[in-house]
Amino acid sequence: MAAGLKDMPERALSAQLQATFSASKADPVRLAAFERFQKTGLPHRRVEGWRWSDLNAALRDFVPANDGVSPIPPSKFSALDPVEIQIVNGRIIRPTGTLPAGLHLDVIPASATIPDLEGNSVVSLTVAMITEALEIRVDAGVKLGQPILVRHIMQCGTMAFVQVAAHLGDGAEATIIETYEDIGAGQGGFYSSLFHSDICAGATLKRRMLQNTNADAVVHAMFAANLAGGAHLNQVGLSTGGRLSRHETLAQYVGSEASAELSSAALVDASRHADFTSKILHAASGCQTRQIHKGVARDKGRAVFQGKFDVQRVAQQTDAQMSADALLLSDTSEAYHKPELEIYADDVQCAHGSTSGALDDDAMFYLRQRGLDEEMARSLLIEAFLGEVIDNLEEGEAPVFRDAIALWLKGQGA
Amino acid sequence: MLKIDNLHARVEGDAGVVEILKGLSLGVPAGEVHAIMGPNGSGKSTLSHIIAGRDDYEVTAGSVNLSGEEILDLDPNERAAKGVFLSFQHPMEIPGVATMNFIRTALNAQRKARGEAEVSAADFLRLIREKTKLVGLTDEKLKRPFNVGFSGGEKKRMEMLQMAIFEPRFCIMDETDSGLDIDALKMVGDVVNSLRGPDRGFLVITHYQRLLEHIRPDHVHVLAGGRIVKSGGPELAAELEKSGYDQFIEAA
Ligand SMILES: Nc1ncnc2c1ncn2[C@@H]1O[C@H](COP(=O)(O)OP(=O)(O)O)[C@@H](O)[C@H]1O
Ligand SMILES: [Mg+2]
Repeated sequence: MAAGLKDMPERALSAQLQATFSASKADPVRLAAFERFQKTGLPHRRVEGWRWSDLNAALRDFVPANDGVSPIPPSKFSALDPVEIQIVNGRIIRPTGTLPAGLHLDVIPASATIPDLEGNSVVSLTVAMITEALEIRVDAGVKLGQPILVRHIMQCGTMAFVQVAAHLGDGAEATIIETYEDIGAGQGGFYSSLFHSDICAGATLKRRMLQNTNADAVVHAMFAANLAGGAHLNQVGLSTGGRLSRHETLAQYVGSEASAELSSAALVDASRHADFTSKILHAASGCQTRQIHKGVARDKGRAVFQGKFDVQRVAQQTDAQMSADALLLSDTSEAYHKPELEIYADDVQCAHGSTSGALDDDAMFYLRQRGLDEEMARSLLIEAFLGEVIDNLEEGEAPVFRDAIALWLKGQGA
Repeated sequence: MLKIDNLHARVEGDAGVVEILKGLSLGVPAGEVHAIMGPNGSGKSTLSHIIAGRDDYEVTAGSVNLSGEEILDLDPNERAAKGVFLSFQHPMEIPGVATMNFIRTALNAQRKARGEAEVSAADFLRLIREKTKLVGLTDEKLKRPFNVGFSGGEKKRMEMLQMAIFEPRFCIMDETDSGLDIDALKMVGDVVNSLRGPDRGFLVITHYQRLLEHIRPDHVHVLAGGRIVKSGGPELAAELEKSGYDQFIEAA
């Protein structure tokens, strides 16, 4: 049932993909990836894991525009004084100043670092399309004070593919903030990024992700992490969706006593769609996972969450908890939440929970009795609903996320 | 100040439409405190919610008039700005809502609606510190999300804290005394008595004489079967506590 490229020769997108691929000198890895992609085409709703997020349909009429050069505004995170890397329509622009000691940024041939993420044809496509990748390395024992900011910037209407690889040495600590932004007038666009990270023994990676793009943009972002013994991943993501946005997290514990705190929020209005999909593979003993997701949808927004904990036989003493809550603000909004546990070890503590509902009438009445108008009361309760996600942020980061939420509440999400 | 005339109200419950208020009339002149007593399920909380503007109830007849103005068409927040305050029988826990921020936002929203200047952060802090002491809460409680993990008594104190801060013109207290110990009852009496004045009115819903010893009501009404079935002076409260409500349940 695969809608392979051959099934849709009329598509402007497939012609452009073919042309882009042919224009670059493909090595065997990219050639193989392109062949994998061509066999299956873009994922659609009959493909496992894509039932609620039909990427193929979202890109059906997409005609990539030529990229222009609109001015790039300063980042909302600039108050944090980050080391800023801009990736504009897929082109990597490294910072010009000197880097903090122990941090290395390089542009490397993409296929040198390609991880094995079989089974996702968008990843295959992305691998096929990229010739270079951004490499971030933090030396062992280095605790970076300055955050690293990777800005994924897309001219509205264009198509771009990006790869980032991060390596944190033993005991290193770093914060990587990723923003997905678009510039220029117009609508639409297709952006796919692939971020692979190695978090070595005892190292800590804090990843922040904020996607705020136009209503017709299609964004696919895959983040993969390998955690060695005692490593820690702390992730906070927020998306206001698009024609379709999908943020995937694929983390695996390869060493014991590693841990991850993952929190995410999808805020969707109009007919936007945001998907957070994750799989945490527990393949070592004594690891701890805490995951929370919050979906808020109004108008005809669709919020999707698919979270899976995979606990292998060797992963004894795993302690993993997941919760996913949806808040539906209109009768036409939708949330599809699918928390899943697959457990093969016996000495584990795993739990998941999921709730879905409207704003609480009693709480609304209480707040309004105290003088808040409907809009204020609603905003206060939605912010409260999202509070747990924001709580995982550092002091300087939280205001940027709070502003994004406040703008969304006012209907000015992007 | 508050004039309720021939109020009829019903609610659409799981078991169909239920008539709750069946021609309730009541007047509380400015400067007075009236108590309402009555059996469980007689419509006391319904009455307080309708005055405050809860829209689950359908008012099919009658009027509610505050200081000469019909209020049944106003939003709950508009009524709050005009001085209607309800101390809830069962105050909510609202996780994730910062208590101080919420109370200040509410105070300023009321003031803004009345065309008054906002209270500065510093003035608000002074005000809330003073009133927190008055109602017997600790500052630590103010740092928690609203009412989260509070005991029943602490939640009632939080209601009194807000009443003391907002200084509403018309206070409805729905069983504020239920579940309170002697010291807390005295505190409720102190808050009411400190607010009592010629421009203010109170409707105090209670089952017990005890609170009324701290707050001497001007009148006591018995609400049964959705109507005021008897009114009298403070002595009526003592009489009811002795004889119970059975006589009225039959009458209603
Ligand atoms: N929202 C509602 N839905 C259904 N029934 C209600 C609702 N509110 C009140 N009632 C019913 O109306 C009657 C009066 O309730 P209430 O006003 O709470 O009484 P009181 O406060 O005097 O104990 C009760 O029988 C109660 O079950
Ligand atoms: Mg009641």
